[in-house]
Amino acid sequence: MTRRNWNLAIGIMLVVGVIWLWAGRVPAAEPALGAAGLPPAPAVGHPAPDINLTTVSGETFALASLRGKPVVLNFWATWCPPCRAELPELQAASQRYAGQLEIIGVNQAEPAEGVTAFAQQVGLTFPIPLDTNAEASRRYAVRSLPTTFFVDRTGIIRHIQSGPLTEATLTQALRTIYP
Amino acid sequence: MLPILQLGPLALPVYPISLLLAFWAGLALSARAASRLDVDGDHIWNAGLYGLLATIIIGRLGHVIAFWPAYRIQPLDIVGLNAQAFLWGPGLLAGVIVAAWYIHRHKLPWAAVLDAAAPGVLIGLVIANLGALLAGNGVGAPANLPWAVELWGVSRHPVQLYAALGELITLAVVLHALREPSRPGTAALLGLLGWGLTTWLIEPFRAESVAVIAGIRLWQVIGLGAALAALWMLRRRAATADPSHAVEPSS
Repeated sequence: MTRRNWNLAIGIMLVVGVIWLWAGRVPAAEPALGAAGLPPAPAVGHPAPDINLTTVSGETFALASLRGKPVVLNFWATWCPPCRAELPELQAASQRYAGQLEIIGVNQAEPAEGVTAFAQQVGLTFPIPLDTNAEASRRYAVRSLPTTFFVDRTGIIRHIQSGPLTEATLTQALRTIYP
Repeated sequence: MLPILQLGPLALPVYPISLLLAFWAGLALSARAASRLDVDGDHIWNAGLYGLLATIIIGRLGHVIAFWPAYRIQPLDIVGLNAQAFLWGPGLLAGVIVAAWYIHRHKLPWAAVLDAAAPGVLIGLVIANLGALLAGNGVGAPANLPWAVELWGVSRHPVQLYAALGELITLAVVLHALREPSRPGTAALLGLLGWGLTTWLIEPFRAESVAVIAGIRLWQVIGLGAALAALWMLRRRAATADPSHAVEPSS
């Protein structure tokens, strides 16, 4: 290839490249890292699917009622060792951030009596909704336990953690929704 | 979408496994290419594994420093197996520095090593993109096309497949260049050119991009810059290889 052809190729790439950069800009109405207008789904950037369950203490729980507060939505079960390992971290966080964000521990398809006994034994005080027929788990596509969704004040999922949280990874993940 | 592969009681996360597979396949292909370029393939394995080790150590160390108050309460987490507890940016930088130090220390020819690395990096990117497609990572923008994939109630560009296709084409070009007699470094530059063009071309089809200024996407700028730099270096090499095309000195 002659020098002239090389220069022509570079020039064309530069011009076409800049045109495509400009044409491919993030639309002004769409935040660079947001996803307004998307349907509820268990994915980062989507609105968190709503769930309505009954807690171990017999109260009604609706995720939508927590709009305006950051929410940590943790799916767990008593038979799951990694879940048991991370629950003390979640309990400590629920006390540390009391009134500022909500920690919710959705129990997956276990009898209420066993869950209540376990929660008392470990000293869990945050709300524990019972996902008796695993409908909420299906809605959130929970394929392994524990799985934790970090939902911001507007109800958008900002981070999903599969596997156990430690003090450090919880602190890191909370930065996506708090302050 | 298959983010978790359930094998009996084992729940295996597909994306991290695809990254491990990408790393292994990349090193294997690079080591094989190296032996054709008169570079001992063992050096490629060593440089890659030392780099991986440095990535893991510095990645975790960075996380410990960044979240020290949490680790001070639970110091055993410093050596825990939690795959989320890493700062990958500093880790990868350290990995590249250590691999480069290994190549320098053993006086390996840089151009030949980069030529050997090119097909390995490309096959690694192909596998990682296929893993991302399965796991639902880095998804495409909404699209109403016959080949769109349905994800969370939205039809989307299969942008991971676009990337894998571009990288596969680049891989074919690089492998062809390695078989032909050419100046050392040519295959690596062709690989950089192909990767840059692919990234520049497909980034607007992603659902989420980091914007730099006026909505211009960061990775598109990086891709275009890489492609232009590669083309410029190929031009210079062509000029010096063929004196009749040499760039005239400015007077």
